[in-house]
Amino acid sequence: MSRPLLTWVIAAVAVTTTVTAQSPARRPPDLQGVWRAWNLAKYDLEDHGAKPGVPAGRGFVVDPADGRIPYKPEALARRAKNYEGTKTLDPVKSSDPFAKCYLPGIPRMTYLGWPFQILQTPEDVTFVYEWAHKKRVVPIDSKVPLPPKDEGGAWMGNARGRYDGNALVVTVTNFNPYTWFDMAGNYHSDALQVVERYTPMNADTLQYEATITDPKVFTRPWTIRMTLQRQKDIGLLDYECTAMLDDLGIDHTWPRDFDEEK
Amino acid sequence: MKIMRTRMYVLMLLAMLVAASIPIAGQLGRPGGLAGVDGTEGAAATKAGPIPRRPDGHPDLTGTFNGSPGGVTHTVILEEHPPGFGVLGGQSLIIDPKDGVIPYQPWALAERDRRRDDANGYEDQVGHCEFYDVGRIHSFTQEYRFSGNTFIINATQHITRIVPMDGRAHLPPGIRLWLGDPVGHWEGDTLAVDSTNFNDRTRMSLGGDFHGADAHIVERFQMLDANTIKWTMTIDNPKVFTRPWTMTSPALMKRIKPAADFDIEDTCHEGNVDLVHLKNTYYQAHGKDAKPRYGTDTDIRR
Repeated sequence: MSRPLLTWVIAAVAVTTTVTAQSPARRPPDLQGVWRAWNLAKYDLEDHGAKPGVPAGRGFVVDPADGRIPYKPEALARRAKNYEGTKTLDPVKSSDPFAKCYLPGIPRMTYLGWPFQILQTPEDVTFVYEWAHKKRVVPIDSKVPLPPKDEGGAWMGNARGRYDGNALVVTVTNFNPYTWFDMAGNYHSDALQVVERYTPMNADTLQYEATITDPKVFTRPWTIRMTLQRQKDIGLLDYECTAMLDDLGIDHTWPRDFDEEK
Repeated sequence: MKIMRTRMYVLMLLAMLVAASIPIAGQLGRPGGLAGVDGTEGAAATKAGPIPRRPDGHPDLTGTFNGSPGGVTHTVILEEHPPGFGVLGGQSLIIDPKDGVIPYQPWALAERDRRRDDANGYEDQVGHCEFYDVGRIHSFTQEYRFSGNTFIINATQHITRIVPMDGRAHLPPGIRLWLGDPVGHWEGDTLAVDSTNFNDRTRMSLGGDFHGADAHIVERFQMLDANTIKWTMTIDNPKVFTRPWTMTSPALMKRIKPAADFDIEDTCHEGNVDLVHLKNTYYQAHGKDAKPRYGTDTDIRR
């Protein structure tokens, strides 16, 4: 590139940047950085007493006000069965899909306890999760239609994002029915819809809210709320979950029976 | 459909290992096709112009590029190899040394050949839906972007590399990562990514090539024009190789149209019903008490 042309390009970019900066149009919040939930949500989203390996603690359901997940009466038995099935040290026998290193879904990925990094570009927001190197690229104001649901849904759903004032709002649909919300067996069906809100509270804290709608399992939508802390001392590292199974001498060759479960 | 698609590369690995000692890729390969990226075929979007620049004057690599047209042969074998069993013959991807042969230490060449044996294909981390290595990901379409002073490399499956471009110091040696710790800097117009802190668990090809945990890898991304990037990777690892060596991608990386479903989720592990066949082959060959070796363990532990 010739030097005059280069100068012109730099000048043009500078002008564009200046115009953008001066424009009164909305300015998306800066969510970038490495974030982590330091809380008990991964164990149980509701108030709970101590369980094996699990500290007692408060739940995270802020709506309904009683802090209880509004299950349909007939849906509670399945949750109890789910939890009973976790009472094993063998990941392959456990009923918790996460024990086998299956994708944890949304919102569970957010509060697993492993950090994640948010990267923003004008077109999308990328969530890179330390757990199993997973990622989500959330398009902002996308006109691209969601993929059809006829493929059975996705473990992490399909996400579409937008900015709402100072918050990033991500609507996630097209889930499969196989993921849980926590280690207590809280679950959903393929009718799940999740609306996430990431709102900066100060330089080192994000508020995370997720509103969960699933008319097949719950009587009404419900919302969890928690804070995420900025991790300052080190960037994103990695945790290849399936390799940990290798290290434990657990082969990955159990039958995959999702199709039968439908 | 989704399960089928996400299973494809495990099936491929299996098919390759069953079919031949130098496995197959040719007829299955298409740019980006390995991971089920649709709509990326058919090449260069626009006529190549001058190198685009970012506000800081450095080349703007933003875009989607593929350097492996026609297949994934180089993930099979890096050195020159004849065609056969459906494998496309190929020139060596090694550009230094000039003879195109990876300069292994004698023990490491023996280990490479052990890994190349079909009976040991179960040990390849890719069949376990674990990570590729820095070189092997170049069989995939890659998306390059900048977020501030951070260079982001996205590939299909679960590959994202976040490269701070500030030349910071590497992590302390006790922290080991699957793709190492990448730190970027500019060498004139070339974006260089310097990586250390590897974990000794990745293979560089189905043919068993590998580097050790204390490898020092420098990749160079040089924009030749608006639609072309030349990528090279130089590996220095004296415990494994007699000298540093350099490889490149099978072809220059060409800009391609981004696929709408580039972000399709990686469910390799969730649908991994085929690994059992590799496992059976392994234990038939080695006996039921054999212990698979997932790394060389030569230099990762202090």
